[in-house]
Amino acid sequence: MSIAVVPAEKAQACLPSTRELSRRRAITRFRWSILGPLLALLIFVLMPVLFLQLYFSLHQWTVYLGTWWDAEYVGLDLFKEVMTDPRFGWAVVRSLAFATGSTIGCFLTGFALAYLMYKPFRGQAFYYIIFILPMLTVPVVVAYTAEMMLYQSGPLNDLITRIIGIEFKPAWLTNPHIALPAVMLLEIWNWAPFSFIIMLAGLSAIPKEPVEAAEILGASKWHIFWEVQLPLLRPVIFLALVLRFLEAMAEFPKTWALLQGGPGTATETLPVYIFLTTWQYFQISKGAAMSYIVMLLMVVIVLFAIRLLRREKRSLDTMYAKAVARQQELM
Amino acid sequence: MRKSQRQRLSAVVRYFVLSMWALVAFFPIYWMISTSFKPDTQWFAWPPVYFPDPPTLSNYLNVWFGAEEYAATQYAISSQKPLISLANSTIIASVSTLLAVLFGSVIAYGVSRYRILSEARMFQLLMLRMIPPIVVVAPLSLYYSALGLLDTMTGLILIYFITSLPYAVWMMKSFIDEVPREIEQAAEILGASRWRTVFEVVLPLVRSGLVATFLFILILTWSEYLLALIITKTQVTTLPIELSKYQGSTEGRVYGRQAALAVGITVPLMIAGLIIRKHLARGFSFGMVRR
Amino acid sequence: MARIELCNLEKFFGAVQAVKNLSCTIEDGEFVVFVGPSGCGKTTTLRMIAGFEDPSAGEIRIDGRVVNDLEPRDRGLGMVFQSHALFPHKNVAQNIEFGLRMKNVPPADRVKRVREVAEMVRIGHMLEKMPNQCSGGESQRVALARTLVTNPSTFLLDEPLSSLDAKLRRELRAECDRLHQTLKRTFIYVTHDQEEAMTLADRIVVMRSGEIVQIGSPMEIYSNPVNYFVADFFGSPSMNLLAGEILRDSASTRFHTALFQVALPERFKVAKPGKATLGIRPEHVGVSVSAKGDVELPVRLVEPLGKDTLLYFDAGTERAFIAVTEGLGMADIKVGERVALSLDQRRLHLFDAEGRRMDAGT
Repeated sequence: MSIAVVPAEKAQACLPSTRELSRRRAITRFRWSILGPLLALLIFVLMPVLFLQLYFSLHQWTVYLGTWWDAEYVGLDLFKEVMTDPRFGWAVVRSLAFATGSTIGCFLTGFALAYLMYKPFRGQAFYYIIFILPMLTVPVVVAYTAEMMLYQSGPLNDLITRIIGIEFKPAWLTNPHIALPAVMLLEIWNWAPFSFIIMLAGLSAIPKEPVEAAEILGASKWHIFWEVQLPLLRPVIFLALVLRFLEAMAEFPKTWALLQGGPGTATETLPVYIFLTTWQYFQISKGAAMSYIVMLLMVVIVLFAIRLLRREKRSLDTMYAKAVARQQELM
Repeated sequence: MRKSQRQRLSAVVRYFVLSMWALVAFFPIYWMISTSFKPDTQWFAWPPVYFPDPPTLSNYLNVWFGAEEYAATQYAISSQKPLISLANSTIIASVSTLLAVLFGSVIAYGVSRYRILSEARMFQLLMLRMIPPIVVVAPLSLYYSALGLLDTMTGLILIYFITSLPYAVWMMKSFIDEVPREIEQAAEILGASRWRTVFEVVLPLVRSGLVATFLFILILTWSEYLLALIITKTQVTTLPIELSKYQGSTEGRVYGRQAALAVGITVPLMIAGLIIRKHLARGFSFGMVRR
Repeated sequence: MARIELCNLEKFFGAVQAVKNLSCTIEDGEFVVFVGPSGCGKTTTLRMIAGFEDPSAGEIRIDGRVVNDLEPRDRGLGMVFQSHALFPHKNVAQNIEFGLRMKNVPPADRVKRVREVAEMVRIGHMLEKMPNQCSGGESQRVALARTLVTNPSTFLLDEPLSSLDAKLRRELRAECDRLHQTLKRTFIYVTHDQEEAMTLADRIVVMRSGEIVQIGSPMEIYSNPVNYFVADFFGSPSMNLLAGEILRDSASTRFHTALFQVALPERFKVAKPGKATLGIRPEHVGVSVSAKGDVELPVRLVEPLGKDTLLYFDAGTERAFIAVTEGLGMADIKVGERVALSLDQRRLHLFDAEGRRMDAGT
């Protein structure tokens, strides 16, 4: 079979066949019939919510007013009030400190455990089960169990005293200086399994043969870790850090249910402060303004996170997929 | 050092470190369980009582069954029977999770096979979930009260559905991705319509994935605190809120009762979590782990 | 100097015994190929030599020194893996220089050596590429370069060509051969492909179910297989194997099959009568349209391959009886036409009921 060469003038643009066209149409139909209702749902639920949020942050409203619409327009006053509120500033600081500290703690613990566990050994399944249990406890339950355990004359202090021999009775929950670190430790206990599971998956997914090749080429365990495993773990590490950080910023039960932001304001993170402002001090408008600012802050962080994660995913895909195979897919 | 000696030493170190953490991980859970069996004199005795002596079921009976006895003294807010909260939690969590998994799977199928959502959108969907709910609960509750959804099960179900959807889509997509396209093509050539292919060929192959996704989201929904706190008032209570009602204005803490309630909340979730433990990694990987 | 001795090696995976009492000596500079079907233990043996598996029993000695206790990195070996195992996040040059970095070779020397080695395997032009941009053949060359750079005394190769297509396989096979000639180091090569074994090896170690079945040069293995399994495994197309019976009377010893019988040569004089298998390689079967032969059979299928022509016959066995003739001389034989087949008496093999070779050896 010979291939005829078509002179330039006679060559036509290659049109997709009718089958292809109708297929594309069907896909578009499918896409909108599925995404359509959901988009509508999001619009009908989220849009009004965001609109109300904006409205209340621009209008001063108190519970004594009749309807919402009686509120007085105050422009950006509320935002100014929030931004100059030292308590707000402290709440931001506490939230960031809490999120950073507990994320790093979760990560280091989870990574260490995963590194010890990713090669098969006797009893591995048993340890795995025990290690994921803390994550399966409801956060509120963690809060209350912590209360039962951490009061000054409680079991935790008792155990530590017995182990180290010296009297060890810090007032975990009533001493304002150690209350926030205490809650951070709780958070780490609760969520280290999360990082553990992710890092374990990442470590297990590293192909065995490059590691063996490195071994036989003379690399020590340390070299292998730094040169081969860590670079291939980058996407997973970022994922573990980013997800945990975002969730830690939003943490509520342990700070509120357990301590109500106390003692004093020692554990008053952003979610707690917003909650207090809105539902205890009933400063709805101020709360709305605060929420808006925090939301913008989080959106910025989240956009950054998206970009980071997408870049990591892309590098992961290119590393493992051969360029040749990809070309064949496209053909 | 000989290789075999070295191997043994590192094994010993490994077991030691892992066991240490295992103790740390398990102790609070143990404490919760043991406290739930303690008579009230031992709730905060000093020195602390590590094993209830004698163990008693009174906390459980009190909390889960004897409403009057326990409504009388210890807390002030309202007298919801925990069994009702249990029923509420179960219904709300199950329905919202079911809806999320259903819709999520359909979307996931579309994303996996036809790319109806780009990778950028998928990440944006995920990150939507990551915005702290606290920033929208205030206007949400106002909006809900205007719609009459405040303090209703429907209201909670709706919001849980929306927040669970991203997870459902991500997880089911990774399961559907693993079904080779050739299998669907084979069915197509043998004469099956698209629907039949999906129902008779694809779905059975992702069955375990469906279960895993369902339980995973169920765990998240069941333990959710903040949204439930805001949206429920008196008519509806979920278990996490029920637990927090003990934090009332009281002289002492009813640790034993709290523990009994806590155990009841936590144990089903632990069982669910252990059932799907092999799939947990998938729920958390979000494309960062090569399969 | 790198003489490798395997002494009574055994390996258990749980209850499964992958390697059974394996002993073998590999001399310095030899190209030894371990060959056998999947699961025969050849890869496990190689990995034990490398140090990735610990033997359940037995010793591995390199130059007389027991190395069981040494980590892979301390054994002075180089290894090429089936999947090339390149570091996906490093480019070709970085992959190659890895071994040198581990030995703290200064950068200037590294660059020189990398270039040297890259030229040796002809990838000097792609040092900046990433592994995912390399084709299968290129990847394996990089893997070879990476191993070469550390100058190991022995090269271990674990089915390095299995993932390549036929043409690439031949190319890289020649490459391996060339390297061996140039470097004069010991090569221990594992494969399931008998053709690779035949072409590359100085000596072949045939394995099956964890045991060594036969060790010998390719010539020995091919001409004097020690049992049915080895006879069948080597050779393409495979040896013709016919089940039948040895019958002896005062006059002669004959082999009877359902379709024909042949007289057996002198060397089978002492062969025990009874059930046996006759083996003759397709290239040792003479075909003639005119002359008489040992047996006459109709042609079932003709395969003209250019260099040879294959003729298929039905000899009452499951597998077709094949004869190979040179050139296309027989290419126009009609299916069904009867031809005379003569079996080269010097090339007959007999295997007893257990598959062992039956004769005093030639």
